[in-house]
Amino acid sequence: MRIELALFASLRRFLPTGEAGHERTIDLPDGTTVGQVIATLGLPDEPRVVFVNGRHAPDDFVLHDGDRLAVFPPVAGG
Amino acid sequence: MKKIVRIDMSDLSVKTEPLPEKWARYGGRALTDAIVFSEVPPSADPLGPENKLVFAPGILGGTTAPNGGRLSAGAKSPLTGGIKESNSGGQAAHALAKLGIAALVIEGAPADKDARYLIKIAPDGSVEIKRVDEWAGAGNYAVADGIKQTMGDVKRYATISIGPAGEMGMKMAGIAVSDPDGYPNRFLGRGGLGAVMGSKGVKAIVLVDEGLPTIEHADRDAFNAAVKKFAAALREHAVTGQGLPTYGTNVLANIINEAGGYPTRNFSSGRFELVENISGERQREVTLERGGNVKHGCHTGCVIQCSRYWVDKDGTYITKGPEYESMWSLGADCGIGDIDDVAALDRACGDIGIDTIETGVMLGVYMDSGRLAFGDGKGALRLLEEEVRKGTDLGRVLGDGAEATGTAFGVKRIPVVKHQGLPAYDPRPIQGIGVTYATSPMGADHTAGYSITANVLNVGGTVDPLKPDGQAELSKGLQIATGMLDSMGLCIFVAFAVLDIPEAFDAIFEMATAHTGQTWDADALMELGKETLAMERLYNEAVGFKPEDDRLPRFFYEEKLPPHDAVFSVSDADLDSVFDFVPETAAKMGISKPGA
Repeated sequence: MRIELALFASLRRFLPTGEAGHERTIDLPDGTTVGQVIATLGLPDEPRVVFVNGRHAPDDFVLHDGDRLAVFPPVAGG
Repeated sequence: MKKIVRIDMSDLSVKTEPLPEKWARYGGRALTDAIVFSEVPPSADPLGPENKLVFAPGILGGTTAPNGGRLSAGAKSPLTGGIKESNSGGQAAHALAKLGIAALVIEGAPADKDARYLIKIAPDGSVEIKRVDEWAGAGNYAVADGIKQTMGDVKRYATISIGPAGEMGMKMAGIAVSDPDGYPNRFLGRGGLGAVMGSKGVKAIVLVDEGLPTIEHADRDAFNAAVKKFAAALREHAVTGQGLPTYGTNVLANIINEAGGYPTRNFSSGRFELVENISGERQREVTLERGGNVKHGCHTGCVIQCSRYWVDKDGTYITKGPEYESMWSLGADCGIGDIDDVAALDRACGDIGIDTIETGVMLGVYMDSGRLAFGDGKGALRLLEEEVRKGTDLGRVLGDGAEATGTAFGVKRIPVVKHQGLPAYDPRPIQGIGVTYATSPMGADHTAGYSITANVLNVGGTVDPLKPDGQAELSKGLQIATGMLDSMGLCIFVAFAVLDIPEAFDAIFEMATAHTGQTWDADALMELGKETLAMERLYNEAVGFKPEDDRLPRFFYEEKLPPHDAVFSVSDADLDSVFDFVPETAAKMGISKPGA
């Protein structure tokens, strides 16, 4: 399956190499979970905010073809 | 002894009185509320002599309490018609506190409507009131320069000023406060308080705190220990220690957009396709490329350092930030994705002296009428410079904000509560903030109870943003806590650390106790927040606000917002439960309706 991956703020540096920006299309085996993607990317073990298709998703969330996975470090403002 | 300084603009008299015992535990928002509640009749014309404009530093103002230099301004609002507390950074709160002033109250109104006055308070407390009619119509930056020229060798002072919008009584006029470098770029933005200042003939106020000693504490060692504890928590938390200093407030753009709650083109979509162009990450890159400053505090003693300066391609200062709310309102809400266009609009708002949130929402509504294309940044700037600044007939309508503009031009979708434009989070996919917008005595105001924390950011717990469950309780707790922080004079961004680190919360009452010599604890902090809100709610009731006013505009309940196709679904009963504590709090305070 193929998903869209977006990493923001200080996490951008963990994107698979290639073009600039903060988004990549990546291929994954069927049944891959959010937690497995995060582990593969080597994201630091700290609190983070994870969305799949604009909704919060836990690490055991199973991804599907066409999903958009977005990961943020702890951020706030306003 | 802390004092209240009253300046009556009807006869230019000055009175100084000790802070009354009944308000000895009040500062900031609680004190501006108490004075407006006691002294401004609910029937008063907001732009008439009965209204009063109150400036107050918080309880911790003037001290080394981290992020303790926020300023409250209060009055009856010309925009909402209700009580208003507008809150700002900048240097003025510390200066007032060092001058021993708990509240500066501007009363009355001059008979001569063409008179413009500069009020200067010297380090010895003496007050000089000087005609500056030649400053009529000047922008905030020109006023700041004019003041600088009168100051000679004096370096330490803070300014409070209005631009032409305030002089013209426009309902979206704000009040500018100078930052540590003297730029008039921090704003008491919301609620039209600039028009109240203009109605009193006051163009600017200068607070000179040069040579004043540091403020004394009841227990210096205990105070310093609590300060250390509080600062450590702010540095330790990922948001206040890393995210905000690195990217500024606009780090939010991408995450709110991702959550589908980034109001775009007058609240018609929850995602903006050009968000990347105006995001905090992009802002940081461009600012660094151009040699701008990407990390400083808006007031002395800030340890978070989320402010920054935007510079043009030649490296010349244009404006601060722009902050998240301004980048959204003047950007996404108008469909404008050019970061320099947004910065130019932000600069114009700062100089003309108008609230960036209300201005952006107004422009979005105006664009929705079909009179200006969404995305036309140059056209929007022309409207501000040629119409609003000059006070043309069109400019007067636009200058009264989103509701006046939408009504005048027949726009169906007018995003306001209690006549005040909604900030940068759509309440349909982020329902907790909708509860705050609907119920806050301030009108639509995100800072009044920032439910984005648990709804989106996973700070202070988690509450599903798309469901109505738990939102009223979340907003209620946050509104009470915010009333307390605004009264302490603390920046509300400390809440991100306070919500997650128990020691940070303890440090607040430890600082308050050690500084004042009064006894403060966790319960007392929450009581302070409740008392603040009780005064505001009772005042608004007396003005005539009813439960029906604690609702969002109908379209938020009916129009589905992409991408989640969400509508606002918190029940009226839940909304009406938010202020259920007011009768009990008011009874304890011995108040029932405004008046002395």
